[in-house]
Amino acid sequence: MEGKHVIELLPDYLDGVLDTAQMQRVEAHLKRCPGCASEREAMGTLWDAFANEEPAAPSNRIRTHFLERLEQEKRGGDQVVSMAGDPAAKRFPWTNLLKVAASIVLLASAFMLGRYRQEQKSNLEIAALRNEGLEVRQTAMLSLMENKSASKRIQGVHYIDGFADPDEAIVKALTDRMLHDENTNVRLSALEALEKFTASEMVKEAFITALKTEKDSGIQIAIIQLLVKIQEKKAVAPMQRLLEREDTQPFVKEQIESVLPAII
Amino acid sequence: MNVFRITLFVCLISFAARAQQDYTKSLDGIDWVKIESRTKVTVEMHGENQLRIKGGEMHKTPERAKGLKLVGDNGTDNTNVGFYVIKEGSNLIVRNLQKHNRGHAVIYLPASQNISVRTNGTNKSDIEISGFTGEIEASVELNGAIKVTDISGPITASTLNGNVEVTFTKVSQTSPISIFSTNGALDITLPGNTPADLSMGSINGEIYTNFELVFPEKNGLKAVSTQKVRQSINGGGVNFQLKTINGNMYLRKQ
Repeated sequence: MEGKHVIELLPDYLDGVLDTAQMQRVEAHLKRCPGCASEREAMGTLWDAFANEEPAAPSNRIRTHFLERLEQEKRGGDQVVSMAGDPAAKRFPWTNLLKVAASIVLLASAFMLGRYRQEQKSNLEIAALRNEGLEVRQTAMLSLMENKSASKRIQGVHYIDGFADPDEAIVKALTDRMLHDENTNVRLSALEALEKFTASEMVKEAFITALKTEKDSGIQIAIIQLLVKIQEKKAVAPMQRLLEREDTQPFVKEQIESVLPAII
Repeated sequence: MNVFRITLFVCLISFAARAQQDYTKSLDGIDWVKIESRTKVTVEMHGENQLRIKGGEMHKTPERAKGLKLVGDNGTDNTNVGFYVIKEGSNLIVRNLQKHNRGHAVIYLPASQNISVRTNGTNKSDIEISGFTGEIEASVELNGAIKVTDISGPITASTLNGNVEVTFTKVSQTSPISIFSTNGALDITLPGNTPADLSMGSINGEIYTNFELVFPEKNGLKAVSTQKVRQSINGGGVNFQLKTINGNMYLRKQ
Protein backbone atom coordinates (compact mmCIF):
# COMPACT_ATOMS: atom_id res chain seq x y z
CA MET A 1 0.00 0.00 0.00
CA GLU A 2 2.81 2.41 0.98
CA GLY A 3 4.16 2.27 -2.57
CA LYS A 4 0.96 3.72 -3.96
CA HIS A 5 1.13 6.88 -1.87
CA VAL A 6 2.15 10.02 -3.71
CA ILE A 7 4.08 11.85 -0.97
CA GLU A 8 7.28 11.89 -3.01
CA LEU A 9 5.44 13.45 -5.97
CA LEU A 10 3.89 16.22 -3.86
CA PRO A 11 6.77 18.77 -4.10
CA ASP A 12 6.75 18.55 -7.89
CA TYR A 13 2.96 18.62 -7.87
CA LEU A 14 2.96 21.83 -5.84
CA ASP A 15 5.65 23.30 -8.09
CA GLY A 16 3.44 22.42 -11.05
CA VAL A 17 6.16 20.54 -12.92
CA LEU A 18 4.38 17.18 -13.22
CA ASP A 19 3.09 15.99 -16.55
CA THR A 20 -0.67 15.70 -17.00
CA ALA A 21 -0.91 11.92 -16.38
CA GLN A 22 1.02 12.15 -13.10
CA MET A 23 -0.96 15.21 -12.13
CA GLN A 24 -4.23 13.34 -12.55
CA ARG A 25 -2.94 10.35 -10.62
CA VAL A 26 -1.89 12.56 -7.71
CA GLU A 27 -5.19 14.39 -7.65
CA ALA A 28 -7.17 11.15 -7.77
CA HIS A 29 -5.10 9.68 -4.93
CA LEU A 30 -5.43 12.80 -2.79
CA LYS A 31 -9.22 12.44 -2.88
CA ARG A 32 -9.03 8.85 -1.66
CA CYS A 33 -6.20 9.03 0.84
CA PRO A 34 -6.64 11.28 3.89
CA GLY A 35 -3.00 10.69 4.89
CA CYS A 36 -1.59 12.10 1.66
CA ALA A 37 -4.22 14.86 1.61
CA SER A 38 -3.13 16.12 5.02
CA GLU A 39 0.49 15.87 3.90
CA ARG A 40 -0.43 18.02 0.90
CA GLU A 41 -2.14 20.49 3.24
CA ALA A 42 1.00 20.80 5.34
CA MET A 43 3.30 21.10 2.38
CA GLY A 44 0.97 23.66 0.79
CA THR A 45 1.37 25.85 3.86
CA LEU A 46 5.13 25.55 3.56
CA TRP A 47 4.98 26.38 -0.15
CA ASP A 48 2.85 29.46 0.55
CA ALA A 49 5.44 30.57 3.07
CA PHE A 50 8.15 30.13 0.45
CA ALA A 51 6.07 32.10 -2.07
CA ASN A 52 5.48 34.97 0.34
CA GLU A 53 9.16 35.20 1.20
CA GLU A 54 10.71 38.32 -0.47
CA PRO A 55 13.22 37.08 -2.97
CA ALA A 56 16.64 38.24 -1.83
CA ALA A 57 18.08 40.52 -4.45
CA PRO A 58 21.76 40.06 -5.13
CA SER A 59 23.91 43.07 -4.21
CA ASN A 60 25.49 45.21 -6.86
CA ARG A 61 28.90 43.76 -6.13
CA ILE A 62 27.68 40.26 -6.96
CA ARG A 63 25.97 41.67 -10.03
CA THR A 64 29.21 43.23 -11.38
CA HIS A 65 31.16 40.11 -10.51
CA PHE A 66 28.58 38.07 -12.35
CA LEU A 67 28.76 40.30 -15.44
CA GLU A 68 32.57 40.17 -15.44
CA ARG A 69 32.42 36.42 -15.27
CA LEU A 70 29.93 36.33 -18.06
CA GLU A 71 32.23 38.41 -20.25
CA GLN A 72 35.10 36.04 -19.46
CA GLU A 73 33.00 33.04 -20.39
CA LYS A 74 31.98 34.68 -23.62
CA ARG A 75 35.61 35.40 -24.45
CA GLY A 76 36.58 31.89 -23.44
CA GLY A 77 35.36 30.63 -26.81
CA ASP A 78 32.87 28.35 -28.21
CA GLN A 79 32.38 25.68 -25.48
CA VAL A 80 28.68 25.21 -25.12
CA VAL A 81 27.32 24.76 -21.63
CA SER A 82 24.10 22.91 -22.03
CA MET A 83 21.30 23.84 -19.68
CA ALA A 84 18.38 21.62 -18.87
CA GLY A 85 15.11 22.53 -20.51
CA ASP A 86 13.48 22.74 -17.10
CA PRO A 87 12.60 26.37 -16.50
CA ALA A 88 12.95 25.96 -12.73
CA ALA A 89 16.60 25.02 -13.15
CA LYS A 90 17.39 28.32 -14.88
CA ARG A 91 16.62 30.27 -11.72
CA PHE A 92 18.77 29.91 -8.64
CA PRO A 93 16.98 27.03 -6.75
CA TRP A 94 16.08 28.87 -3.51
CA THR A 95 12.91 26.85 -3.07
CA ASN A 96 14.76 23.58 -3.53
CA LEU A 97 17.36 24.64 -0.97
CA LEU A 98 14.63 25.32 1.55
CA LYS A 99 13.02 21.97 0.75
CA VAL A 100 16.29 20.23 1.47
CA ALA A 101 16.66 22.13 4.73
CA ALA A 102 13.10 21.25 5.70
CA SER A 103 13.59 17.57 5.00
CA ILE A 104 16.79 17.55 7.06
CA VAL A 105 14.88 19.10 9.96
CA LEU A 106 12.11 16.55 9.45
CA LEU A 107 14.57 13.66 9.40
CA ALA A 108 16.35 14.87 12.52
CA SER A 109 13.14 15.36 14.46
CA ALA A 110 11.84 11.94 13.44
CA PHE A 111 15.09 10.41 14.63
CA MET A 112 14.88 12.22 17.96
CA LEU A 113 11.26 11.18 18.42
CA GLY A 114 12.09 7.57 17.65
CA ARG A 115 14.94 7.60 20.11
CA TYR A 116 12.79 9.15 22.79
CA ARG A 117 10.11 6.48 22.31
CA GLN A 118 12.72 3.72 22.45
CA GLU A 119 14.07 5.12 25.71
CA GLN A 120 10.59 5.22 27.19
CA LYS A 121 10.01 1.63 26.12
CA SER A 122 13.24 0.36 27.61
CA ASN A 123 12.46 2.16 30.86
CA LEU A 124 9.22 0.21 30.98
CA GLU A 125 11.10 -2.98 30.19
CA ILE A 126 13.53 -2.43 33.03
CA ALA A 127 10.60 -1.96 35.38
CA ALA A 128 8.98 -5.13 34.07
CA LEU A 129 12.20 -7.13 34.45
CA ARG A 130 11.94 -6.98 38.22
CA ASN A 131 8.86 -9.18 38.09
CA GLU A 132 9.80 -11.02 34.95
CA GLY A 133 12.45 -13.27 36.52
CA LEU A 134 9.80 -14.78 38.73
CA GLU A 135 7.15 -14.86 36.02
CA VAL A 136 9.44 -16.53 33.51
CA ARG A 137 10.31 -19.12 36.12
CA GLN A 138 6.67 -19.72 36.88
CA THR A 139 5.75 -20.03 33.20
CA ALA A 140 8.68 -22.36 32.59
CA MET A 141 7.69 -24.47 35.57
CA LEU A 142 4.04 -24.75 34.56
CA SER A 143 4.89 -25.61 30.96
CA LEU A 144 7.55 -28.16 31.95
CA MET A 145 5.01 -29.88 34.16
CA GLU A 146 2.85 -30.45 31.05
CA ASN A 147 5.74 -31.94 29.04
CA LYS A 148 5.38 -35.35 27.43
CA SER A 149 8.57 -36.55 29.09
CA ALA A 150 8.29 -37.69 32.72
CA SER A 151 11.85 -36.55 33.39
CA LYS A 152 10.97 -33.02 32.15
CA ARG A 153 7.86 -32.99 34.32
CA ILE A 154 10.03 -33.86 37.32
CA GLN A 155 12.36 -31.03 36.34
CA GLY A 156 9.32 -28.71 36.39
CA VAL A 157 8.34 -29.99 39.83
CA HIS A 158 11.86 -29.30 41.16
CA TYR A 159 11.57 -25.65 40.04
CA ILE A 160 9.48 -25.14 43.18
CA ASP A 161 12.77 -24.77 45.11
CA GLY A 162 13.14 -21.34 43.44
CA PHE A 163 9.98 -19.96 45.03
CA ALA A 164 10.00 -18.76 48.62
CA ASP A 165 6.28 -18.03 48.58
CA PRO A 166 4.69 -19.69 45.52
CA ASP A 167 1.27 -18.49 44.45
CA GLU A 168 -1.80 -20.67 44.36
CA ALA A 169 -1.54 -21.51 40.65
CA ILE A 170 1.80 -23.23 41.21
CA VAL A 171 0.70 -25.14 44.29
CA LYS A 172 -2.44 -26.21 42.43
CA ALA A 173 -0.35 -27.42 39.48
CA LEU A 174 1.83 -29.42 41.88
CA THR A 175 -1.14 -31.05 43.59
CA ASP A 176 -2.53 -31.92 40.12
CA ARG A 177 0.76 -33.66 39.33
CA MET A 178 0.63 -35.58 42.61
CA LEU A 179 -2.98 -36.66 42.10
CA HIS A 180 -3.23 -37.26 38.37
CA ASP A 181 0.15 -37.83 36.70
CA GLU A 182 0.32 -41.23 35.00
CA ASN A 183 3.97 -41.66 35.97
CA THR A 184 4.71 -42.93 39.48
CA ASN A 185 8.04 -41.09 39.67
CA VAL A 186 6.38 -37.76 38.83
CA ARG A 187 3.65 -38.28 41.44
CA LEU A 188 6.31 -39.11 44.02
CA SER A 189 8.41 -36.04 43.14
CA ALA A 190 5.35 -33.79 43.40
CA LEU A 191 4.50 -35.32 46.76
CA GLU A 192 8.01 -34.64 48.07
CA ALA A 193 7.93 -31.08 46.70
CA LEU A 194 4.64 -30.43 48.50
CA GLU A 195 6.05 -31.59 51.85
CA LYS A 196 7.29 -28.03 52.40
CA PHE A 197 3.80 -26.58 52.13
CA THR A 198 1.84 -28.70 54.59
CA ALA A 199 0.74 -25.50 56.34
CA SER A 200 -1.57 -24.79 53.38
CA GLU A 201 -5.11 -26.19 53.74
CA MET A 202 -5.22 -26.83 49.99
CA VAL A 203 -2.12 -29.02 50.22
CA LYS A 204 -3.49 -30.94 53.20
CA GLU A 205 -6.74 -31.56 51.34
CA ALA A 206 -4.74 -32.81 48.35
CA PHE A 207 -2.80 -35.28 50.54
CA ILE A 208 -6.05 -36.67 51.92
CA THR A 209 -7.53 -36.95 48.41
CA ALA A 210 -4.34 -38.68 47.25
CA LEU A 211 -4.67 -41.18 50.09
CA LYS A 212 -8.06 -42.15 48.70
CA THR A 213 -7.07 -42.26 45.01
CA GLU A 214 -3.42 -43.36 44.92
CA LYS A 215 -2.96 -46.94 43.71
CA ASP A 216 0.81 -47.26 44.14
CA SER A 217 1.43 -48.69 47.59
CA GLY A 218 4.86 -47.04 47.86
CA ILE A 219 3.32 -43.62 47.45
CA GLN A 220 0.49 -44.61 49.81
CA ILE A 221 3.10 -45.24 52.48
CA ALA A 222 4.89 -41.97 51.76
CA ILE A 223 1.59 -40.10 52.16
CA ILE A 224 0.73 -41.94 55.37
CA GLN A 225 4.13 -41.07 56.85
CA LEU A 226 3.68 -37.43 55.94
CA LEU A 227 0.16 -37.16 57.35
CA VAL A 228 1.31 -38.73 60.61
CA LYS A 229 4.19 -36.29 60.80
CA ILE A 230 1.85 -33.31 60.55
CA GLN A 231 -0.70 -35.03 62.85
CA GLU A 232 -3.55 -34.57 60.39
CA LYS A 233 -6.69 -35.78 62.16
CA LYS A 234 -8.75 -35.75 58.95
CA ALA A 235 -6.50 -38.51 57.60
CA VAL A 236 -7.80 -41.06 60.07
CA ALA A 237 -11.02 -41.89 58.20
CA PRO A 238 -9.40 -42.49 54.78
CA MET A 239 -6.69 -44.60 56.46
CA GLN A 240 -9.32 -46.77 58.09
CA ARG A 241 -11.00 -47.15 54.71
CA LEU A 242 -7.68 -48.27 53.21
CA LEU A 243 -7.47 -50.89 55.98
CA GLU A 244 -10.86 -52.26 54.97
CA ARG A 245 -10.12 -52.34 51.24
CA GLU A 246 -9.15 -55.69 49.74
CA ASP A 247 -6.72 -54.36 47.17
CA THR A 248 -4.58 -52.64 49.80
CA GLN A 249 -1.20 -54.34 50.08
CA PRO A 250 -0.64 -56.11 53.41
CA PHE A 251 2.45 -54.07 54.27
CA VAL A 252 0.47 -50.88 53.75
CA LYS A 253 -2.13 -52.17 56.20
CA GLU A 254 0.63 -52.98 58.69
CA GLN A 255 1.99 -49.48 58.28
CA ILE A 256 -1.43 -47.93 58.91
CA GLU A 257 -2.05 -50.10 61.95
CA SER A 258 1.27 -49.08 63.42
CA VAL A 259 0.81 -45.34 62.89
CA LEU A 260 -2.93 -44.89 63.58
CA PRO A 261 -2.47 -44.83 67.38
CA ALA A 262 0.06 -42.04 66.89
CA ILE A 263 -2.59 -39.77 65.41
CA ILE A 264 -5.50 -40.64 67.69
CA MET B 1 13.78 -73.86 -16.53
CA ASN B 2 12.81 -76.25 -13.77
CA VAL B 3 15.80 -75.24 -11.70
CA PHE B 4 14.84 -71.59 -12.08
CA ARG B 5 11.28 -72.31 -10.94
CA ILE B 6 12.45 -74.19 -7.89
CA THR B 7 14.87 -71.44 -6.94
CA LEU B 8 12.13 -68.85 -7.27
CA PHE B 9 9.77 -70.97 -5.23
CA VAL B 10 12.30 -71.44 -2.46
CA CYS B 11 13.03 -67.72 -2.45
CA LEU B 12 9.36 -66.88 -2.16
CA ILE B 13 8.82 -69.38 0.62
CA SER B 14 11.74 -68.13 2.66
CA PHE B 15 10.72 -64.50 2.09
CA ALA B 16 7.19 -65.27 3.23
CA ALA B 17 8.49 -67.10 6.29
CA ARG B 18 10.72 -64.16 7.17
CA ALA B 19 7.91 -61.68 6.70
CA GLN B 20 5.77 -63.79 8.99
CA GLN B 21 8.41 -63.81 11.66
CA ASP B 22 9.26 -60.14 12.19
CA TYR B 23 7.00 -57.15 12.29
CA THR B 24 8.46 -53.76 11.30
CA LYS B 25 7.05 -50.27 11.35
CA SER B 26 8.61 -46.97 10.27
CA LEU B 27 9.40 -44.44 13.01
CA ASP B 28 9.01 -41.32 10.85
CA GLY B 29 7.46 -38.53 12.89
CA ILE B 30 7.50 -40.65 16.05
CA ASP B 31 8.67 -38.93 19.22
CA TRP B 32 7.91 -41.63 21.79
CA VAL B 33 7.42 -45.37 21.50
CA LYS B 34 5.09 -46.50 24.28
CA ILE B 35 5.16 -50.21 24.99
CA GLU B 36 2.54 -51.85 27.18
CA SER B 37 2.66 -55.48 28.18
CA ARG B 38 1.45 -58.07 30.67
CA THR B 39 4.56 -60.16 30.23
CA LYS B 40 8.30 -59.74 30.06
CA VAL B 41 9.56 -57.15 27.55
CA THR B 42 13.10 -56.84 26.22
CA VAL B 43 14.06 -53.73 24.29
CA GLU B 44 17.30 -53.76 22.33
CA MET B 45 18.83 -51.24 19.97
CA HIS B 46 19.55 -51.76 16.29
CA GLY B 47 20.79 -49.70 13.35
CA GLU B 48 17.50 -49.37 11.47
CA ASN B 49 15.19 -46.37 11.82
CA GLN B 50 12.18 -48.57 12.44
CA LEU B 51 10.47 -50.66 15.04
CA ARG B 52 11.09 -54.39 14.74
CA ILE B 53 9.26 -56.97 16.81
CA LYS B 54 10.89 -60.37 16.66
CA GLY B 55 8.52 -63.09 15.67
CA GLY B 56 9.12 -66.78 16.08
CA GLU B 57 7.89 -69.92 17.81
CA MET B 58 6.88 -67.90 20.83
CA HIS B 59 4.18 -66.00 18.94
CA LYS B 60 2.87 -68.91 16.91
CA THR B 61 -0.91 -69.13 16.94
CA PRO B 62 -2.53 -72.49 17.76
CA GLU B 63 -3.84 -74.65 14.90
CA ARG B 64 -7.46 -73.92 15.82
CA ALA B 65 -6.87 -70.15 15.52
CA LYS B 66 -6.29 -70.36 11.76
CA GLY B 67 -8.13 -67.45 10.13
CA LEU B 68 -8.85 -65.84 13.49
CA LYS B 69 -7.17 -62.88 15.13
CA LEU B 70 -5.77 -62.56 18.64
CA VAL B 71 -7.77 -60.11 20.73
CA GLY B 72 -6.72 -58.32 23.91
CA ASP B 73 -8.64 -56.05 26.23
CA ASN B 74 -7.57 -52.98 24.26
CA GLY B 75 -6.77 -54.03 20.72
CA THR B 76 -6.67 -56.69 18.04
CA ASP B 77 -3.51 -58.24 16.64
CA ASN B 78 -2.58 -56.15 13.58
CA THR B 79 1.03 -57.33 13.38
CA ASN B 80 0.84 -61.16 13.21
CA VAL B 81 3.25 -61.32 16.14
CA GLY B 82 0.61 -60.88 18.83
CA PHE B 83 0.81 -57.09 19.09
CA TYR B 84 -1.52 -54.19 18.48
CA VAL B 85 0.50 -51.28 17.07
CA ILE B 86 -1.02 -47.88 16.39
CA LYS B 87 0.25 -44.36 15.82
CA GLU B 88 -1.34 -41.73 18.06
CA GLY B 89 -0.03 -38.28 17.16
CA SER B 90 3.72 -38.47 17.65
CA ASN B 91 3.44 -41.55 19.86
CA LEU B 92 3.66 -45.10 18.62
CA ILE B 93 1.59 -47.29 20.92
CA VAL B 94 2.84 -50.89 21.01
CA ARG B 95 0.58 -53.22 22.99
CA ASN B 96 1.50 -56.79 23.68
CA LEU B 97 -1.76 -58.75 23.62
CA GLN B 98 -0.24 -62.07 24.74
CA LYS B 99 -0.12 -63.34 28.27
CA HIS B 100 2.27 -65.16 30.55
CA ASN B 101 5.08 -67.27 29.21
CA ARG B 102 4.05 -67.16 25.60
CA GLY B 103 4.36 -63.44 25.19
CA HIS B 104 7.98 -62.59 26.01
CA ALA B 105 8.57 -59.87 23.45
CA VAL B 106 11.88 -58.76 21.97
CA ILE B 107 11.57 -55.31 20.43
CA TYR B 108 14.27 -53.49 18.47
CA LEU B 109 14.50 -49.71 18.21
CA PRO B 110 17.14 -47.16 17.11
CA ALA B 111 19.49 -46.02 19.89
CA SER B 112 18.25 -42.42 20.16
CA GLN B 113 14.56 -43.35 20.47
CA ASN B 114 12.55 -42.13 23.48
CA ILE B 115 10.99 -45.20 25.02
CA SER B 116 8.31 -45.76 27.59
CA VAL B 117 7.68 -49.32 28.79
CA ARG B 118 4.93 -50.28 31.21
CA THR B 119 4.08 -53.77 32.38
CA ASN B 120 1.32 -54.81 34.76
CA GLY B 121 1.35 -58.59 34.69
CA THR B 122 0.65 -60.72 37.71
CA ASN B 123 3.38 -63.11 36.62
CA LYS B 124 6.99 -61.98 36.42
CA SER B 125 6.68 -59.21 33.85
CA ASP B 126 10.24 -57.89 33.80
CA ILE B 127 11.53 -55.03 31.69
CA GLU B 128 14.98 -55.27 30.17
CA ILE B 129 16.41 -52.37 28.21
CA SER B 130 19.90 -52.09 26.88
CA GLY B 131 22.04 -49.53 25.06
CA PHE B 132 19.91 -46.42 24.49
CA THR B 133 20.79 -42.71 24.46
CA GLY B 134 17.19 -41.38 24.33
CA GLU B 135 14.89 -40.93 27.30
CA ILE B 136 13.62 -44.00 29.06
CA GLU B 137 10.54 -44.47 31.21
CA ALA B 138 10.14 -47.91 32.71
CA SER B 139 7.38 -48.87 35.07
CA VAL B 140 6.50 -52.29 36.46
CA GLU B 141 3.17 -51.87 38.17
CA LEU B 142 2.80 -55.32 39.69
CA ASN B 143 5.37 -58.09 39.70
CA GLY B 144 8.65 -57.94 37.89
CA ALA B 145 12.07 -56.36 37.92
CA ILE B 146 13.70 -53.69 35.80
CA LYS B 147 17.16 -54.09 34.35
CA VAL B 148 18.52 -51.24 32.28
CA THR B 149 22.11 -51.36 31.05
CA ASP B 150 24.46 -49.12 29.07
CA ILE B 151 22.26 -46.07 28.90
CA SER B 152 22.90 -42.37 29.40
CA GLY B 153 19.49 -41.24 30.61
CA PRO B 154 17.38 -39.35 31.45
CA ILE B 155 15.44 -42.19 33.00
CA THR B 156 12.49 -42.65 35.29
CA ALA B 157 11.88 -46.13 36.63
CA SER B 158 9.55 -47.59 39.23
CA THR B 159 8.66 -51.06 40.50
CA LEU B 160 6.43 -52.46 43.19
CA ASN B 161 8.09 -55.73 44.18
CA GLY B 162 11.02 -56.25 41.83
CA ASN B 163 14.56 -54.92 41.97
CA VAL B 164 15.75 -52.10 39.76
CA GLU B 165 19.21 -52.39 38.29
CA VAL B 166 20.54 -49.53 36.18
CA THR B 167 24.03 -49.15 34.68
CA PHE B 168 24.94 -45.83 33.14
CA THR B 169 27.70 -45.39 30.57
CA LYS B 170 27.48 -41.69 31.29
CA VAL B 171 24.78 -39.55 32.87
CA SER B 172 22.97 -37.04 30.66
CA GLN B 173 22.75 -33.67 32.42
CA THR B 174 19.64 -32.46 30.58
CA SER B 175 16.86 -33.42 32.97
CA PRO B 176 16.37 -35.31 36.22
CA ILE B 177 16.73 -39.00 36.89
CA SER B 178 14.27 -40.66 39.23
CA ILE B 179 14.29 -44.29 40.34
CA PHE B 180 11.81 -45.66 42.83
CA SER B 181 10.83 -49.02 44.23
CA THR B 182 8.42 -49.94 46.98
CA ASN B 183 9.66 -53.39 48.01
CA GLY B 184 12.55 -54.01 45.64
CA ALA B 185 16.18 -52.99 45.98
CA LEU B 186 17.87 -50.39 43.80
CA ASP B 187 21.27 -51.25 42.37
CA ILE B 188 22.68 -48.31 40.46
CA THR B 189 26.09 -48.03 38.81
CA LEU B 190 27.53 -44.69 37.64
CA PRO B 191 30.86 -43.64 36.14
CA GLY B 192 33.03 -42.33 39.01
CA ASN B 193 33.32 -38.84 37.52
CA THR B 194 29.55 -38.25 37.16
CA PRO B 195 28.52 -34.80 38.33
CA ALA B 196 25.15 -35.05 40.10
CA ASP B 197 23.02 -33.77 42.94
CA LEU B 198 22.09 -36.98 44.69
CA SER B 199 18.97 -37.35 46.75
CA MET B 200 18.65 -40.81 48.26
CA GLY B 201 15.90 -41.76 50.64
CA SER B 202 14.48 -44.95 52.08
CA ILE B 203 11.85 -45.39 54.76
CA ASN B 204 12.76 -48.88 55.94
CA GLY B 205 15.71 -49.86 53.75
CA GLU B 206 19.41 -49.11 54.03
CA ILE B 207 21.57 -47.13 51.67
CA TYR B 208 25.04 -48.27 50.59
CA THR B 209 27.53 -46.51 48.37
CA ASN B 210 31.24 -46.27 47.60
CA PHE B 211 30.99 -42.70 46.37
CA GLU B 212 32.94 -40.28 48.55
CA LEU B 213 30.39 -39.22 51.12
CA VAL B 214 31.62 -38.35 54.58
CA PHE B 215 30.06 -41.11 56.69
CA PRO B 216 31.27 -43.89 59.03
CA GLU B 217 32.82 -47.02 57.51
CA LYS B 218 30.93 -50.31 57.36
CA ASN B 219 32.14 -53.35 55.45
CA GLY B 220 33.84 -51.45 52.65
CA LEU B 221 30.63 -49.82 51.56
CA LYS B 222 29.46 -46.98 53.72
CA ALA B 223 26.18 -47.17 55.57
CA VAL B 224 24.06 -44.07 55.54
CA SER B 225 21.38 -44.36 58.14
CA THR B 226 19.34 -41.18 57.84
CA GLN B 227 16.08 -41.23 55.91
CA LYS B 228 17.20 -38.87 53.21
CA VAL B 229 20.70 -38.13 51.99
CA ARG B 230 21.38 -35.08 49.89
CA GLN B 231 24.88 -34.94 48.47
CA SER B 232 26.60 -33.33 45.52
CA ILE B 233 29.16 -35.51 43.78
CA ASN B 234 31.87 -34.24 41.44
CA GLY B 235 30.83 -30.64 41.98
CA GLY B 236 27.11 -31.22 41.57
CA GLY B 237 25.00 -31.60 38.45
CA VAL B 238 21.81 -33.21 37.27
CA ASN B 239 19.18 -34.05 39.87
CA PHE B 240 19.49 -37.75 40.68
CA GLN B 241 16.74 -39.11 42.87
CA LEU B 242 16.65 -42.60 44.40
CA LYS B 243 13.90 -43.73 46.72
CA THR B 244 12.64 -46.94 48.23
CA ILE B 245 10.12 -47.79 50.90
CA ASN B 246 11.33 -51.20 52.10
CA GLY B 247 14.20 -52.17 49.79
CA ASN B 248 17.88 -51.46 50.21
CA MET B 249 19.79 -49.15 47.94
CA TYR B 250 23.22 -49.74 46.40
CA LEU B 251 24.95 -46.92 44.57
CA ARG B 252 28.16 -48.05 42.91
CA LYS B 253 31.06 -46.20 41.39
CA GLN B 254 32.27 -47.73 38.13
